[in-house]
Amino acid sequence: MPSRKPPFVWLLEKEWRELLVSKSWWVLLIAMGPLVGVSFIGAVHTYAEVSAGQGGETLSPLIGIWGPTFSACELAAVFLLPFVAIRMLAGDRQSGAMKLELQQGMSPLWRVAAKSLILLAGWLLAMAPALIALLLWKLYGGTLWAPELAALLAGHILNALLTIALGTATASLTEHPSTAAILTLAVTIGTWILNFFGAIQGGFWERAASYTPAAMVAEFQHGLVRLSTVLVSLTLVAAGLALTAVWIRLGVTLRRRAMEAAALTILATAAVFASVTATPNWDLSESRGNSFPRAEERQLRTLRQPLRIEVHLAPEDPRRADLELQALSKLRRVLPGLRVDYVAATSSGLFEQTRPGYGEIRYYLGGRSTMSRVTTAEGVLESIWSVAGIEPPKTDDDTVFRGHPLAVQATGAAELFCAVWPVSILAGALLVRRRFL
Amino acid sequence: MLFEVAGLTKSFGPITALSDVGFHVRAGEVLGLIGPNGAGKSTLFDCVAGLLPYDSGEVRWKNKTRDLFYLPDGIAPWAAQPVDWVLRYAIGFFAGRADLRDEVVQQLALGPFLRQPIGTLSKGQRKRALLAVGLLTPPAALLIDEPFDGLDLRQARDVATALRAHAARGRTLFLSIHQIRDAARLCDRFVLLSGGRVCGEGTVEELAAAAHLPPDDLEEVFLALT
Repeated sequence: MPSRKPPFVWLLEKEWRELLVSKSWWVLLIAMGPLVGVSFIGAVHTYAEVSAGQGGETLSPLIGIWGPTFSACELAAVFLLPFVAIRMLAGDRQSGAMKLELQQGMSPLWRVAAKSLILLAGWLLAMAPALIALLLWKLYGGTLWAPELAALLAGHILNALLTIALGTATASLTEHPSTAAILTLAVTIGTWILNFFGAIQGGFWERAASYTPAAMVAEFQHGLVRLSTVLVSLTLVAAGLALTAVWIRLGVTLRRRAMEAAALTILATAAVFASVTATPNWDLSESRGNSFPRAEERQLRTLRQPLRIEVHLAPEDPRRADLELQALSKLRRVLPGLRVDYVAATSSGLFEQTRPGYGEIRYYLGGRSTMSRVTTAEGVLESIWSVAGIEPPKTDDDTVFRGHPLAVQATGAAELFCAVWPVSILAGALLVRRRFL
Repeated sequence: MLFEVAGLTKSFGPITALSDVGFHVRAGEVLGLIGPNGAGKSTLFDCVAGLLPYDSGEVRWKNKTRDLFYLPDGIAPWAAQPVDWVLRYAIGFFAGRADLRDEVVQQLALGPFLRQPIGTLSKGQRKRALLAVGLLTPPAALLIDEPFDGLDLRQARDVATALRAHAARGRTLFLSIHQIRDAARLCDRFVLLSGGRVCGEGTVEELAAAAHLPPDDLEEVFLALT
């Protein structure tokens, strides 16, 4: 009599059991405790110092506590999770399990989906120390803002999915796990180079760099959710998993797999370019750190004519980064049709300082123009009101974020993350080995 | 006839592993693929099972759809999982026959190490555990690469008996065997493969007649035909 469970459920069970016996996953679990713990303790300490020193004006737990604490997850996703993913796929290939299982007739895409689901479940368990940190913070008397935490978690889950897709894809493309590991790290380093290059070159590269995993996580860590970022990330995840499914098939010629992989790459590239045009975005941070005050945003939305800003600053000029961070990124969220033209003859701007007009920010709206050199949000808004010929709106003081200062010590955190967690995981590993298998 | 292989050719760069290979497999028979090391037996099985692309030729199935399970040699899958779970997985994942499980366990003497992980078994024990996986799968044809590899004399005899019992139920077995004496004990018909070419196909009597030799020594017949 055939089994009542569908083959996919059997596959899930098998992948789960394989994850449980994977030493690399247990190492990831153990490492996550101290990694998160050290980050959390350091963040709480700094937060307390700033709270005591400045009275905590505009102190946000998202930026002060959760950004640093969850950066441990980012580190683990870059340096540990790929090895778990590679081991899961390469193990099947090297042991011969894949030769047997692929004869079942199930689509390779389902096989890859099963692996990815289990790897994601494994990652969620590995994120448990970060959730423990949330509980500790609450116990210390700290505040939690659910929407920004949801955005933060979503960012790290997306990042993990990207890593899983990359790890499985490289494991399928290469014969040996160590080659896959080198290739995965090479891709990761490549994204860092892209970030660096984008910061120097600006333009297209700067835009491309804003979709790297590191940039994506940084956005979510600030509570900003952009549909284009989500769509690009999901497209890359789907492309990575589909590439894995194309490549793990046996009995298919290399030429055909290469053709299918090329077609998939073209399709994914088209999907990425389509995704970047999506403009909806949401600032889920309690401090609204990614947005202008609500009154200003309402007034900006009343501008009927297209606004153009000409920035005479080189890519490496710190004022340009300041302008982007403080004002233009917020402005783009309110005015999707905003056009920003950067004018610079060199990348550093060191030898342009004496050029007439260097450092100017020119605003053009409906045939009028104005010029300013101020890079702060307030300065940019002032110039816009000036060029639009309208009065600045009155700021509603009730909606201004006042911050959540908290001067406490991370009591018990060191013991919990650096002793209780690793010992519990070790005990769990032994127990699972004895009782489950 | 269950399926037929016609004109199968496979090259690895300048090396031709299989050249215009053709033969047919009858339903319910035990067919032995005999050949020395390097003859192309495993490559042929990989191609027939659809795990390796071939350059030309075809595998024609009577019912148009491939209905086989192939157990390669030299694999060690699910190393950390106990034998008992692997058998349940084989039945569940491949929609195999749960009612055969106890019988297969008994036939292949797997009882003493059901709780042991596959990776801790000896070569012979692992071979028997994987044979059990193959026998529990449902396809009409079962291709096994070197079913006796790693088994001692007694174990080989027990495995041969078990395979015979499953063939008697109508399962078609296609076995790659490099030890001609083992093959002679078990198989109904043979395909002789040497240097990637089929040198003969038929029963011992048919092959002996083709070699103009008496049908009592398959080894001599094989040497004469290859």
